[in-house]
Amino acid sequence: MAMLDIQHVSKYFGGLAANSDVSFSMEQGMIMGLIGPNGAGKTTLFNCITGYYPPSKGDVVFKGVRLNGMQPDQVCRLGMVRTWQKVRPLAKMTVLDNVMVGALARTSSLATARDIAAEQLRVVRLEHKGAFLAGGLPIGERKKLEVARVLATKPELLLLDEVMGGLNPAESEEIIQLILELKKRGLTQMVIEHDMKAIMRISDRIVVLNSGEKLTEGAPREVANHPDVIAAYLGERVE
Amino acid sequence: MTSTPQRGFSVLPLVLFLLAVAALAAFPSFVRKPYILHMGVMLFLAIIQGQAWNVIGGYTGQYSVGHAAYFGVGAYVTMMLLEVNHIPPWWGIWGAIAAAVMLSVVIGAITFRLRGPYFVLASIAVAEIIRLAALYYKGFTRGAEGFLLSSIPTLHLFGTEIEFLTKRTFYFTGLILAVVTIAVNYAVEHSKLGYYFQAIREDQDAAHSLGINLTFYKSVALAISAAFTAAAGGFFAMFVKFIDPNIAFGIDVSVQIVLICIIGGIGTILGPVVGAMVLVPLSEILRNPRGLVQVGILSGDSSVVRFIETYLSNAHLLVYGILVVVVILFAPDGVVGVIRHAVARSRRRRAASSASPSPA
Repeated sequence: MAMLDIQHVSKYFGGLAANSDVSFSMEQGMIMGLIGPNGAGKTTLFNCITGYYPPSKGDVVFKGVRLNGMQPDQVCRLGMVRTWQKVRPLAKMTVLDNVMVGALARTSSLATARDIAAEQLRVVRLEHKGAFLAGGLPIGERKKLEVARVLATKPELLLLDEVMGGLNPAESEEIIQLILELKKRGLTQMVIEHDMKAIMRISDRIVVLNSGEKLTEGAPREVANHPDVIAAYLGERVE
Repeated sequence: MTSTPQRGFSVLPLVLFLLAVAALAAFPSFVRKPYILHMGVMLFLAIIQGQAWNVIGGYTGQYSVGHAAYFGVGAYVTMMLLEVNHIPPWWGIWGAIAAAVMLSVVIGAITFRLRGPYFVLASIAVAEIIRLAALYYKGFTRGAEGFLLSSIPTLHLFGTEIEFLTKRTFYFTGLILAVVTIAVNYAVEHSKLGYYFQAIREDQDAAHSLGINLTFYKSVALAISAAFTAAAGGFFAMFVKFIDPNIAFGIDVSVQIVLICIIGGIGTILGPVVGAMVLVPLSEILRNPRGLVQVGILSGDSSVVRFIETYLSNAHLLVYGILVVVVILFAPDGVVGVIRHAVARSRRRRAASSASPSPA
């Protein structure tokens, strides 16, 4: 059984189809890349999957459970959690407290939550910043905090929305290594990313969205050479 | 950015807190002037109100300007149970708390769909509806006529008889209630609830995605807040012995509760205490400057007393307004914030001077 099954999902805002009839599925342990030009509907699809918007049509099935109508907090406790393209640190709380909020999804004990949080901060190599206010971190560390915080909720499926956006090459490489390490630990991940080199390197499969529709799906090499994908990104070849 | 210390149990604040409580408990043995004790009672009342509001406004970030609803329900239920049903207030107050918590669930269900300024406006509107209803349904609430307390029965506790006749009795009752409120606030801050409330304040969408049921936890925060606000209302009704819809449900009650926190510092345990210490003496002196004469701080023909009586007594809301503008402009984190910044700055300076090595 697929871990996540997206069946004919459409999302309309008034007359605009932000997603129309998108279907694909993900197996346990894989990394799925989700790419497409700006406005292709990638983030909308994340929002539909994680319960921020109910899909206008179609079903999202996670571990055999149909998610339609579920709220984000319920989806999170089922084991699927997302990060935000525009990071959302809990600014006036410390870095450790931020991650503890995530950990408290699985425990009511502050001591246990503190242990889980400290462990996740080590995973993203942010343990030395635990006592700092989250609002004061530079962007690279905010992105890492975002990842540590969702890891603390003990997810089975992680949705990463442009975690490398705005990072310098060294910081991006750190995040790539982190994603690959999480994969080794058995975590299933869906990754939205604009950096093509990075997404080709980490993804097992890639889904391409364009104008809300699924353009194609396949292994990174197939997708990169697909004429429709090239057309979507660069425009049609002049004959 | 500055680093903050790890949150956890610390001994020094607890010792200071217990010393302050002991000093306040011993205070009436030395000072018997009713005016001072009256001010003490009003101070405790303001602390309870401020701490209660802090749970929903400070930690959870939902700025309710309609807490008069819970305060008024607390006052009316306690008063009516005593006057109509002859139930003594130490039982009646539980009824008041239960009524306020039930009301908070209803109000929360309506207003928590709204965010930011819309939530604030809705909270004001709901409290005003309740005030107008209390004025209108005379058969039940006696309308603008209000309730005058006849007498509070004698409380038999551990073989002693407690008569609620003197300011002294109310002083100790208020002190106990304030200590309980602060203790509960502390326990909330240092629990899963405290973390969830603050996460909701900082970013509702992020909190939602991290597994926090927004409506549920906001409702819990409001229920805790309403319970203590209602207790304050019941205590207030017994102390001033007269309530009507404007005294109990008026918008100035709501505003005053918020001011206590804004002036002291929102979202901290100390904030409402400091805010109450600023606001209560100020409002008491403005309203009744003759009290200073009774106490002997000023002489009866002092020009200060005459100035306050002539120009400020009827304008205490104006003074509040100016105070709020000054605080928001110059100390947006309240008095506690100013103190904290000063401490952090001097600490940094000390660290810098001790760490600066001689240039090589």
